[in-house]
Amino acid sequence: MKLTLRYLDIFERNVTFLAFVALVIVMFSDVAFREITGTGLHWSRQVGVYANLFVVMFGLGVASSEAAHLRPKFADNWLPESFEPILNRIQEGLMFLFCFVFSVIAFQVVTETFRDDVQSIVLRIAVWPFQMIIPAAFFLTSIRHLIYTINPNFRPGEGVDSGTE
Amino acid sequence: MSIQAQNNPMVSALFLPIIILVLFVLRQNLIVILGISTAYAYWAFGDGVISNIVVDAWDAANKDILLSIPLFILAGNIMSRGGMASRLIDLMTSLTAPIPGGLAIATIMSCAAFAAVSGSGTVTLLAIGTLMYPALIKAGYPKNFALGALCAAGTLGIVVPPSIPLILYGIMTQTSIGDLFIAGIGPAILLTSLMLTYAVAQNFSHRESSWNLSYISKSLRKGIWALLMPLIILGGIYSGYFTATESAAVAVVYAFIVESMIHKEMNLDDLRDVIRETTKLLGSLFPVLMIALSLNVFLTYEEVPQNLVAWMSDKIDNPVTALLSINLFLILIGCLIDIGSAILILAPMLMPIATSHGIDPTHFGIIMVMNLEIGYLTPPLGLNLIVAMGVFKEKFWTICKATIPFLIIMLMGLMTVSFVPEIALFMVD
Repeated sequence: MKLTLRYLDIFERNVTFLAFVALVIVMFSDVAFREITGTGLHWSRQVGVYANLFVVMFGLGVASSEAAHLRPKFADNWLPESFEPILNRIQEGLMFLFCFVFSVIAFQVVTETFRDDVQSIVLRIAVWPFQMIIPAAFFLTSIRHLIYTINPNFRPGEGVDSGTE
Repeated sequence: MSIQAQNNPMVSALFLPIIILVLFVLRQNLIVILGISTAYAYWAFGDGVISNIVVDAWDAANKDILLSIPLFILAGNIMSRGGMASRLIDLMTSLTAPIPGGLAIATIMSCAAFAAVSGSGTVTLLAIGTLMYPALIKAGYPKNFALGALCAAGTLGIVVPPSIPLILYGIMTQTSIGDLFIAGIGPAILLTSLMLTYAVAQNFSHRESSWNLSYISKSLRKGIWALLMPLIILGGIYSGYFTATESAAVAVVYAFIVESMIHKEMNLDDLRDVIRETTKLLGSLFPVLMIALSLNVFLTYEEVPQNLVAWMSDKIDNPVTALLSINLFLILIGCLIDIGSAILILAPMLMPIATSHGIDPTHFGIIMVMNLEIGYLTPPLGLNLIVAMGVFKEKFWTICKATIPFLIIMLMGLMTVSFVPEIALFMVD
């Protein structure tokens, strides 16, 4: 389980890093080209959107690995402290279930997109490989939370600054 | 339960808050709460096709307007990585040294400047607070004032452009992000001025030293690059030279060049860390944003905001009462949930109510963000109170009491901006 988490971490970290660098380069190149040649790169925004999708969807797993998800905490003390261990498992278990079910539903949507051969208007390529990022990311995150459910010792500690400050 | 709930909208409506409450008690992440609530809404009130959530979420993610969020957050994280806090503090201290309460003024101005670059209230409190709190105490400033000033001025990042909550509001309500940034300038100046006035009044007897031109020029040379970033962003947007997304891309490259080549405080390993830190925040925010936008599509399709407006119009027909009620409601919400979650869930529903009473959508965005900003300083969950407790090693209630004068100042600022829209809209086209 530890090894699985490590591989997940390496994969998500590298994919998001490369995608983020690509996003910055593409978006800045658009502005630079506009300044130099007078016209921007018409495809840059769509490529930027797809790069961003890699960042934010695989970022879901990165957020899970550091317990950084947004979580309303006002009801945290409503149950006695002795419930803590079971609440931790329920929290992780429900997150696993949610991510898994979402990945299955998202996969069904992707298969429909594949069947209908939906193309990107700007890039003129099939959309489904990019759409596939959503079920893939949710599935990988569900594996992470399944491991946390089975063995809560692998759960990361929760910080105070999880939010859009 | 299932068939009965799907057939009877009243029963369905009753179950929804119960489900949400149970999920709160079970300490679920917002993505689970919002995801399950949205699925329930699609199933119970809509056509029952839950896969539409994914389709709507995909449509929401497939928009280039969203690109400004990762880029602005990355630019802020790059700039706040190195020694920007100490450079800004040096600059502000050198400029304010002979003024009564000079160090207090420097603290508030450093917070405002740092917030404008980093875009984060909590990071501002951490970065400026760790350096300025001991300096203020050593210089003889009252502990309560130092704690309150740092906690309150740390929240200025939320209204100072480029503010992520303002971008979220813009996306959720289809309001121009450029306009929101421009509209944030006036209220940010007002809040900063009110805090500065209080700082001078409270610390009039404190004078540090006289102006030292060589120190001013040295600290200006060190701090000017950081200060130029918000000017480039806002100048670019205001002049129409950049869109918000383009200015964000320029800000990232500018921040990286400044930190790696001019300040020489960032290498590729640091960049990797900053990107991971930014990705963590985006990974917690974006999937929630996608589901929130999907819920928004559903609510609009089912005409929920319109019905809400009609219902509210029956109850409250006076714009002043409406504005006061919305303000009160948002302050209470700000006490309970974080600013991002509150905007994602409430902005699409409250904005139509506000506009039905003649409030400009851009103006309302500023009001909403200012209200939720106050939530950073209110118990039980004020984020800056909790962070300050750890950083300054003080009791929670000591910090709460210290922030009371600043809370009053912020409420005064909020009311002024609420009833004098020109403060926010004077530069908006």
